[in-house]
Amino acid sequence: MSAPRVWFLRLTSIFGRTRRERELTAEMESHAQLEADELVRRGVSPAEARRMALAHSGGVTAAHDAFRDQSGLPWLEQLVQDIRYGVRTLRRSPGFTLVIVVMLALGIGANTAIFSLIDAVVVRSLPVPHPEQLIEIGDPARVSSFSSGSPRTDLVSYPLYLDLRTHTRTLAGLAASGRSDRIDAHIGAADAPLEHPRGRFVSDNYFTLLGVPALRGRVFGDAENQGAGASPVAVISYGYWTRRFHNDPAVLGTSIVVDDNALTVVGITPPSFTGEIVGVSNDIWIPLTMQPALQPHTPTLTSRSASWLLLLGRVAPGRTLSEATAELGPLYTQLVVASASGRDGAEFVAAHHTMYIGEGARGFSRVRATFETPLFTLLIGVGLLLVIICANVANLLLARAVVRGREIAVRLALGANRGRLVRQLLTESVLLALTGSATGMLFAWWASRALIAQAFNGASVPLDLSIDVRVMAFTLGVSFIAVVIFGLVPALRASRVELATTIRASASSASSGAIGHRGRKAPLGKLLIAAQVALSVVMLVGAGMLVRSLRNVQAADVGLDRDHLLITDVDINARGYSGDRLQQLAHAVRDRIAAIPGVSAVTYSENGIFSGTDSGTNFEIPGFVARSPGDTNTYYDVVGANYVHGIGGHLLDGRDFAASDEGRAGRLALVNETFAATYFKNQRAVGKYIHLDDTTLVEIIGVVADTRDHSLTRKADVRVYFSYGQTGPGVDAPGSLRFLVRSKGEPASVAAQVRAAVVAVDPLLPIDGNTPLALLMEASILQQRLMAKLSTAFGVLALLLASVGLYGVMTYAISRRTREIGLRVALGARQGDVVRSVLFESLRLVAAGMLIGLPLALAAVRLLTSQLNGVETIDPPSIAAALGVLAASGVIASLLPALRASRVSPIVALQTD
Amino acid sequence: MTKLDVQQGTLALMILKTLDSMGPLHGYGVARRIEETSRGKLTVRYGTLYPSLLKLEMEGFVRSKWGVSDNNRRAKYYALTAAGKKQLAREQHEWRETNLILSWFLSPEPAPEAT
Repeated sequence: MSAPRVWFLRLTSIFGRTRRERELTAEMESHAQLEADELVRRGVSPAEARRMALAHSGGVTAAHDAFRDQSGLPWLEQLVQDIRYGVRTLRRSPGFTLVIVVMLALGIGANTAIFSLIDAVVVRSLPVPHPEQLIEIGDPARVSSFSSGSPRTDLVSYPLYLDLRTHTRTLAGLAASGRSDRIDAHIGAADAPLEHPRGRFVSDNYFTLLGVPALRGRVFGDAENQGAGASPVAVISYGYWTRRFHNDPAVLGTSIVVDDNALTVVGITPPSFTGEIVGVSNDIWIPLTMQPALQPHTPTLTSRSASWLLLLGRVAPGRTLSEATAELGPLYTQLVVASASGRDGAEFVAAHHTMYIGEGARGFSRVRATFETPLFTLLIGVGLLLVIICANVANLLLARAVVRGREIAVRLALGANRGRLVRQLLTESVLLALTGSATGMLFAWWASRALIAQAFNGASVPLDLSIDVRVMAFTLGVSFIAVVIFGLVPALRASRVELATTIRASASSASSGAIGHRGRKAPLGKLLIAAQVALSVVMLVGAGMLVRSLRNVQAADVGLDRDHLLITDVDINARGYSGDRLQQLAHAVRDRIAAIPGVSAVTYSENGIFSGTDSGTNFEIPGFVARSPGDTNTYYDVVGANYVHGIGGHLLDGRDFAASDEGRAGRLALVNETFAATYFKNQRAVGKYIHLDDTTLVEIIGVVADTRDHSLTRKADVRVYFSYGQTGPGVDAPGSLRFLVRSKGEPASVAAQVRAAVVAVDPLLPIDGNTPLALLMEASILQQRLMAKLSTAFGVLALLLASVGLYGVMTYAISRRTREIGLRVALGARQGDVVRSVLFESLRLVAAGMLIGLPLALAAVRLLTSQLNGVETIDPPSIAAALGVLAASGVIASLLPALRASRVSPIVALQTD
Repeated sequence: MTKLDVQQGTLALMILKTLDSMGPLHGYGVARRIEETSRGKLTVRYGTLYPSLLKLEMEGFVRSKWGVSDNNRRAKYYALTAAGKKQLAREQHEWRETNLILSWFLSPEPAPEAT
């Protein structure tokens, strides 16, 4: 009955505390007065009465203490006291506090930044209801791909999607989406200026399946399922509505004109939804049924060979994801086989293709595929960094706790409660940790944005980086672990101080290291340094290997003239070029480009170099026995005249395509080195024939050295080059045209003239790209560059921290041994001897750390193998460099303390305590 | 004869009873009264009296008010509240019970037979 009341009164009595204490004093004073009066009445003299009254009073202090215990919340007041004392103490040594807060902020901030990136890119589910019910079919990284040919397992064709949707029994619904590209659109009217919003084709049930309602207007529904071209509508995102239309409610009904087709805006999605692709913020959603109207030259809705869709399904009530997966795989194969033509069906089954089927909660993402592994590797890196930082901070606090030994000893002697003392020291550490994490959160906010800017070269990537509850919990968790690690140890050690020894003389004994433990040479501090050095070895070796790997990739012989090539991509489909018209276009533009003074050679091809597309076909070689269907599959490209010369490749045998070959009825091909070696092992490939089908034979006229034309890191595949004009069985009509321009100087210098040449031939031909090859290649190794950069930064940071730590420990150790050093100098040791002995001791420490670190590093590097190119897991140069750098830093870090030690005057030293 | 220091728990009961019999009284008065009633066997010290009074006040069994004593001294007077009166009755009853049980243990007579 009275417990809550008592509690409440305790709480409120915190206020007006002084007034109450004064009142108590007054009350007790009055008590004494009344007693004195009584005594006087009995005949005692006033002075005597007063004395006797006071003598009887007994326990005034105790009364105040008990009063204080009864009122207020003692633990709260003690906490406030501890905090105020802690703040005062920390403010007294600002340098020390600053260093610790900065280091903590760095460690915690880096961890939080990486963690929030991982959360945004890899972990977080789509902002839709019940994402755990979603299942996805297709490779989630291929968000904007298009493949023409046999049915695939990573992309789905529209007819196959419809079949799947009709026949599945475990799904409540199945939606499809494809092609996330910037579209050329006129907003409002057909003659408005051209804009480039990001658009995606989606099925009629896309929004309802995901559970995304319309903020205004409506989302797609049955009306979008009425056949091709029947529903020219679009839904826009909230972000696009804000950026482009400034939240104007009249946007509903506006037209977006794409290629003479007017799409009416019918709905706006809520702010939280930016699409099912993580890392991409979509602007406009267009019904799949509008695809033929918008892209009349590449109609794909009816074709089973056009695979370009990714599917998202929701499991039916009562069904589980595993049930759905178990059904969909075989169902897919069944449907492919049922509708496949020619060898496709049998090949599909024979190849035992595994469907890309997985949980769809996290949506699709190309960003995730690129950065998942590096992010986790980085997480390990920052984790190690945090450990090193904690070790450093612990060391610093240890040293300081020793220095404060006297203060603590005095307080213990005055009767301080040991537990209270520990609590107070711990409060200081908590204060540091909290300041560190607060600063760390700010740093994390900045760092994650900086990291994204670095990774994407400034382009804004719409990742939701808002600090969510999990990240906040993680930061607090990390900072509290940090507190435990570096707060408790020094606090407990400090409280075990032996009073007499400490108050008298802290360092009189030559062997005293930690207080109260004679004979122990502060092993904890040295252990921490050794650990730091070990971790630094790990990080430096890792960084070294990643850097070397990057160098290897960048310097690799790519088999063509990478520094002088410009790739110009024109959109032939937008203008409907094909057949003879296409040939004429290619020749006309090529001739114009050849006339540019700065150009030394020009050629063209369908798939270009590092342009993102590739073609493949099946074939047979008489005499070659295939062991699996993949053995007779090759990548190919169709190329213009003088191709090898144009790209600066090396012709190993035979001859290049000539202009005269183009009109010939015969079929000719170039093959690459790997092809020749694979299929014509000990023979000359030139003059042999490739059979594309029973009647189509192609003669090999030349062998080209392997080129890295699609990836810097992948080994060369077998590749065939046909002439751009040849089409027929096995070789489809070209779907794209890229000019490969070889410049005499910098490729960028001829870019404008190349563009002019294209415009001169056809002013309306869209130019999709006009980029030097070197830039395209650099962009393709973005991940490797980022890893190398960051791991180096971490390695340097680790090195710095270890050096700082080493410096601190050596300084402290020397200060402890001032007397000993002074004694030795007095006995005849020279300056050089002292310096040498100090350096020796510190290098011994560094060596110990290296000894532990090296095997750790070698083990840890196995985690990196997936990202190393041309670098073995035991790489002597990287290891030697890491150890060398560490040793050098060790020497530098201990040089100052060593010199200081050598300058100790023996007289002063012997007088020190 | 050494005077016993009064214990906290019993002190509360004594204070309540004193205030019940004597009406509103100041701290000194309560102390004197307790010492008298115990026939000098108990000593009441500031360190036990005032915390006890505060506790009783926080629990709502007494209320306090600054007033003036007989000889014109300012003193804080404590008075029993209604809740305090009830508490007193309750504690008295409990005390008597405890006493009775204890006396069965400590007296030489055997416990009454169970029937």
